[in-house]
Amino acid sequence: MLYFIYDGSFQGFLTAIYEAFYSDNPPEQIVSEENFTTNLFSTTKKIETDEEKSDKVYAAIKDKISSYTLRTVYYCFLSELEEIEINLFHYLKLAFKEGGQVNKFHSNDIVKKIKSARRKVSREAHRMKGLLRFRTLKNGVYYGPMEPDYNIIEILARHFAKRLSDQDWIIHDLSREWAAIYNQQEWALTPLTETEIELSAMEEEYQDLWQEFFDSIAIENRQNKKLQQQNMPKKYWKHLVEKNN
Amino acid sequence: MDLKTKLSILSDAAKYDASCSSSGSSRSNKSGGVGNAARNGICHSWSEDGRCISLLKILFTNNCIYDCAYCINRASNDKQRASFTPEEVIKLTINFYRRNYIEGLFLSSAVEKNPDYTMEQMLEVVKKLREEHKFNGYIHLKAIPGADSQLIQEAGTYADRMSVNIELPSNDGLQKLAPGKKKEDILKPMNMIGSKIVESKANRKKYNNAPQFVPAGQSPQLIVGATPEPDYQILRLSESLYQKMNLKRVYYSAYVPVNQDSNLPAIPKPPLLREHRLYQADWLLRFYGFSADELLNEGNPELDLDFDPKMDWALRNLDIFPIEINKAGYDTLLRIPGIGVRSAKKIISARQEKALNYQDLKKIGPALNRAKYFITCRGKYYGDFAFNPDSLRQKLKHKVGKQDKYTQLSLF
Ligand code: SF4
Repeated sequence: MLYFIYDGSFQGFLTAIYEAFYSDNPPEQIVSEENFTTNLFSTTKKIETDEEKSDKVYAAIKDKISSYTLRTVYYCFLSELEEIEINLFHYLKLAFKEGGQVNKFHSNDIVKKIKSARRKVSREAHRMKGLLRFRTLKNGVYYGPMEPDYNIIEILARHFAKRLSDQDWIIHDLSREWAAIYNQQEWALTPLTETEIELSAMEEEYQDLWQEFFDSIAIENRQNKKLQQQNMPKKYWKHLVEKNN
Repeated sequence: MDLKTKLSILSDAAKYDASCSSSGSSRSNKSGGVGNAARNGICHSWSEDGRCISLLKILFTNNCIYDCAYCINRASNDKQRASFTPEEVIKLTINFYRRNYIEGLFLSSAVEKNPDYTMEQMLEVVKKLREEHKFNGYIHLKAIPGADSQLIQEAGTYADRMSVNIELPSNDGLQKLAPGKKKEDILKPMNMIGSKIVESKANRKKYNNAPQFVPAGQSPQLIVGATPEPDYQILRLSESLYQKMNLKRVYYSAYVPVNQDSNLPAIPKPPLLREHRLYQADWLLRFYGFSADELLNEGNPELDLDFDPKMDWALRNLDIFPIEINKAGYDTLLRIPGIGVRSAKKIISARQEKALNYQDLKKIGPALNRAKYFITCRGKYYGDFAFNPDSLRQKLKHKVGKQDKYTQLSLF
């Protein structure tokens, strides 16, 4: 079984796609270094990340298929689901042949898999746009910790750079130990492990006010905790100001 | 009084459905599946009753000079009263927004002193938020009926959405239950807002930087079940408001019995299922090309509680069913129970690849448990029993009724 091994970056992945398209011997799996474990039957080919090749693939998907498809590929990549890379390869083969309408092949199995991965990522990203909570630190920075299922930090950073553009903030993915840091001009990603934080003097007052609002807005005789949890699964509660006190 | 106590009183006062405060804006995902697609706002949290929290929803004051029978804040109720200052509302809004607690502000109010005084305070809030604090979040304002139209108009230049509540579906009801409010006080500003919206949209087509006016539209709400009007009358009212007043949508609010009053019906619980049916029917008016007269009529003026309005309509029009899924046009597909806007579009586009069999249809994912009784697929009927117009309603009552009740549970 032939494995293409790439460095785990999106560029690396697109380079692997490039190689896969132009190879006489296409891969049966595409796996990141981190996730690869050798076995008896595997032969491997190491993919060197190449900017030119990945740019070509990027532009080709956008121009020859559609921006929607490009976004689909990116979101699926962020899902980090098992075998998502090889599924994306098969999806792209089909898409280059059929064009943007491939996304309407609702009964095709590979398209279904891809669309379901996209949906998972975009749903969590959308949820987290609402559920991320910033706390103000002593140094005036707004700090937002989270532990999402998928690797959605870039999507969030882009969103908050537009929305909260005149304040310094950090979005911290604690499980991936990765943070987006914004300085009112631009944001960048950097590795960051969990650290002690010191809250600003004002912070507690606002958390308290928010908690008060949250408690008093609910209508007792319509209580429905099941629906609450369905919309706001418990796995996200840990970092919610209104839920962890 | 400290800010926390005020917030507690004035957010508590804002949550009741039957009062100046009410609007379903936080419940826009209620009408089921498709509803979510139209709603592009972000929910920031979900309260214990399962509703989406996206706006800081508060009253400016609950200190009311009026005495509307159905309202928890009526003057004759013995309640703790509080009023914010404009600065306090601004501080809460900005600080909540920066922490990503909220999408914006939903500000309503009881009528303190007089309508103009109250409207002036609210105007100060939105004006300062936009001009001094450069706040770009969402603002929904409730205009105060009877306030000077100059004030309402100026507030409209700062708000994303502004509405006046219709409150009750008839003039009689209004006179009896909300004697302080006149029909004209409600319809006049509604009309003004509607025509200003049209005017500003037209101007913005000509000049890109022409000022916006209430760009997200107006969404008045009305209370269901406090007065005796049937669903038919309510839907006809909504239909005509959609046509005349340039409304985004109407919110229906099941009357919650909070006061004892001889003018009010004695009901043990809010008519939630009825409210839900009205939302479904309203949805059919706006997105499915139905008219109120198709759904109900004088002889049959109430929505069926066992079946959703579309299913009920289908069961009354069985002569056009079963419909062949590979042939029907978009408008016809939309009339099939269980097939919504999304599935209809998907079916049309998937059909271009090949004629669909039942397996393909399953993958597309309409609610086949309902749809299967009303369609054929490549000529074959997939219902559990032969298609028989005379007995279908009876048989489905058993099956579909149950599923629907189940959704009810998760909806409320
Ligand atoms: S005007 Fe009527 S509905 Fe509004 S707060 Fe006062 S009593 Fe309640």
